[in-house]
Amino acid sequence: MRKHRTDLLPAAAFLAPNLIGFLAFVGFPLIFSISMAFTNWDLSLHNRYRNEPIGWIWLRNFQDLLSHPDFWKYFGNTLFFMMAIPIGIAGSLFLAVLLSRPLRSRSPSARWVLAVGSLASFAAIGLFLMAGGFGAAAFVFCMLAGGVLALGFTTGAVVYRTLFYLPAFTSGVAVYLLWKQMYNPIRGPINIALQPVLDVLTAWVRGTPSWFWQGSGYALWAVAVLGVLWLGLKVLRAWAGRDFGIGTGLMSLIAVVAGGLVLYGLGWVAVHLPEMVASKEGLVAPKWLSDVAWAKPAIMIMGLWMGIGGGNMLLYIAGISNIPQELYEAADIDGAGRWQRFWHVTWPQLAPTTFFIVVMSVIGGLQGGFEQARTMTQGGPYGATTTLSYFVYTEGFETGRLGYASAVAWAMFVMIFVLTVLNYRFGNKYVND
Amino acid sequence: MLTNHVFLLLLCCVAALPFLWMVLTSFKPFNEVQSTHWVPRDWQAENYPNVFKALRYGALQSEEVGQWGFGQFFTDSAFMRYYFNSLYIAAAVTFLQCLTSAMAAFAFSRLRWRGRDKVFLMYLATMMIPGLVLMIPNYQIMMRLRWVDSYAGLIVPAAFSAFGTFLLRQFMLTIPSSMDEAAEIDGASKWQVFWEVIMPLARPGLIVLCIFTFMGTYNSFFWPLVMLRTQEKYTLPVGLLFFDSSQGQETQLLLAAVTMSVVPLIVLFVILQKYLVKGIQLGAVKG
Repeated sequence: MRKHRTDLLPAAAFLAPNLIGFLAFVGFPLIFSISMAFTNWDLSLHNRYRNEPIGWIWLRNFQDLLSHPDFWKYFGNTLFFMMAIPIGIAGSLFLAVLLSRPLRSRSPSARWVLAVGSLASFAAIGLFLMAGGFGAAAFVFCMLAGGVLALGFTTGAVVYRTLFYLPAFTSGVAVYLLWKQMYNPIRGPINIALQPVLDVLTAWVRGTPSWFWQGSGYALWAVAVLGVLWLGLKVLRAWAGRDFGIGTGLMSLIAVVAGGLVLYGLGWVAVHLPEMVASKEGLVAPKWLSDVAWAKPAIMIMGLWMGIGGGNMLLYIAGISNIPQELYEAADIDGAGRWQRFWHVTWPQLAPTTFFIVVMSVIGGLQGGFEQARTMTQGGPYGATTTLSYFVYTEGFETGRLGYASAVAWAMFVMIFVLTVLNYRFGNKYVND
Repeated sequence: MLTNHVFLLLLCCVAALPFLWMVLTSFKPFNEVQSTHWVPRDWQAENYPNVFKALRYGALQSEEVGQWGFGQFFTDSAFMRYYFNSLYIAAAVTFLQCLTSAMAAFAFSRLRWRGRDKVFLMYLATMMIPGLVLMIPNYQIMMRLRWVDSYAGLIVPAAFSAFGTFLLRQFMLTIPSSMDEAAEIDGASKWQVFWEVIMPLARPGLIVLCIFTFMGTYNSFFWPLVMLRTQEKYTLPVGLLFFDSSQGQETQLLLAAVTMSVVPLIVLFVILQKYLVKGIQLGAVKG
């Protein structure tokens, strides 16, 4: 029978190292930072050589912030990067669904047969290619692919899941520098592979009448608009009929609109193709990180490569494995096809996971972009890839306007806080889905 | 089922292609970097030792360096130094963080005291604060403590973590308290309960925290970038950036350096991926 006493003293002892660190590096800086945001602390004014007193300027930092023309541009950049979030979520979900299907046959002997069979067939393909003049490299590639396939047959999803997660796990300055090299307009493999394709495309477009392209462009626009309207109405109807909760409904609407935008984009490209090939060189591969229009998409593509197979995919895999089989069986009894199984069972059941991922992605997205900007573009051609966090870095650590930088950082914090609170308010209704 | 596999295999290729290009190009001589064939015709394994030779302290351009003795790789090479710095700092931070977080988690989960849950909530709230807000004042603190450009400045601020405390506390809550009580009846002190009963049981959570912390510190870029001034103390990310700005035209050398930075992570991952996956799912599905 334990005496009811307080463990305060031992608790203090256990907590001490952590708490001291917390107060020193989180608590105190927090207070310091918010007071800095209201001062005019600037290393060009307050240093060894010119020691003016640090003055309280209250809200002037924030006023400067809001009226600074580039602040809104950087804010826009940050939001632009966040447009990749729905694509990433869709990709992760897609991969998770693929990896949740049965991948191993039931009998161990069948697995070995398949494994050996795949190794053998890829070896054969490799030898064939090698004989055909592609060199020993082709053989090695084929054996690698065959090996992965064999592992896939024996271990199931594990080997694919590992390979998909690799880009996320290794992400860091090293990988950003790798992609910077890949995006090199002259030496990088992306353009080296892309340019011949574009040349073929140019020749083809020049050879076909321009009404064909413009016609298909307008047709794609029509499909986009009509498709969004039709699917949107379906979603709204399901929403109203209480098939979905609020959250699932909104996610689905966003997915539909995103799809529509993609089609619209394709349509735009088709409509403008004839004029794009009219110049002497025809279609030219973009200069990626040096091009104001392409720098952000380049970074987003890299971000998708890293993010799609990452933690979100693992979360979805766990979520899918938690869906009770009876729901699927009920759907089968009602005669549901594959798409309907997904739309009516999987997607709504994953709503809490999707919600979590969206919240974390938004929080991360508002604070992100610093490492990519610093290593790949230094803020981008004419500030095209400067996000809010990179702006804080340059203002604080390169220009030295510490008060102003603190104000920007706090403005970011307020945005994140507001968005998170909104997400939670709105997401609580999810729990009642 | 077969189609599933083939499709997945294709997607794996997309995921792995950049890495494949990285490794293959790192073995090419400079004039082959731009070529359309990925596999080098002229394998140049010297690229790898050349990375180590490329930057020596104070030297920014790689001059023609002859053969190096084995010991020279450890004394003269800046890149080797970056490796050492990164590993040392990551190991120190991981150890300290696991220890302080475990102790704090024990206090929050196993001990009863007034205000316990309020303080914990305060810890949690700080997790929402973007690191950026704290970087600037922390830098000022480092300046006052004269810890700028020092190992201490990199290790100590990172040595404790609200996230680690949170993760381990959640984990410790799943351990039945009958274990503690049995130990206390046998006369164990709180420290003994912590060290000999709870810690062994919390091992899976500790492993996950170790992996995340090690990986996070190994890859951390912002704080070392802001703090470090002398080339000798650079960690790998900062060193790679420095390498890129001075040797960036030598794509093959840069890629060899990148490969060497990435390979430890890949090896670590392949060995430990089971724990990692469980850890991520543990953290979020319950949280």
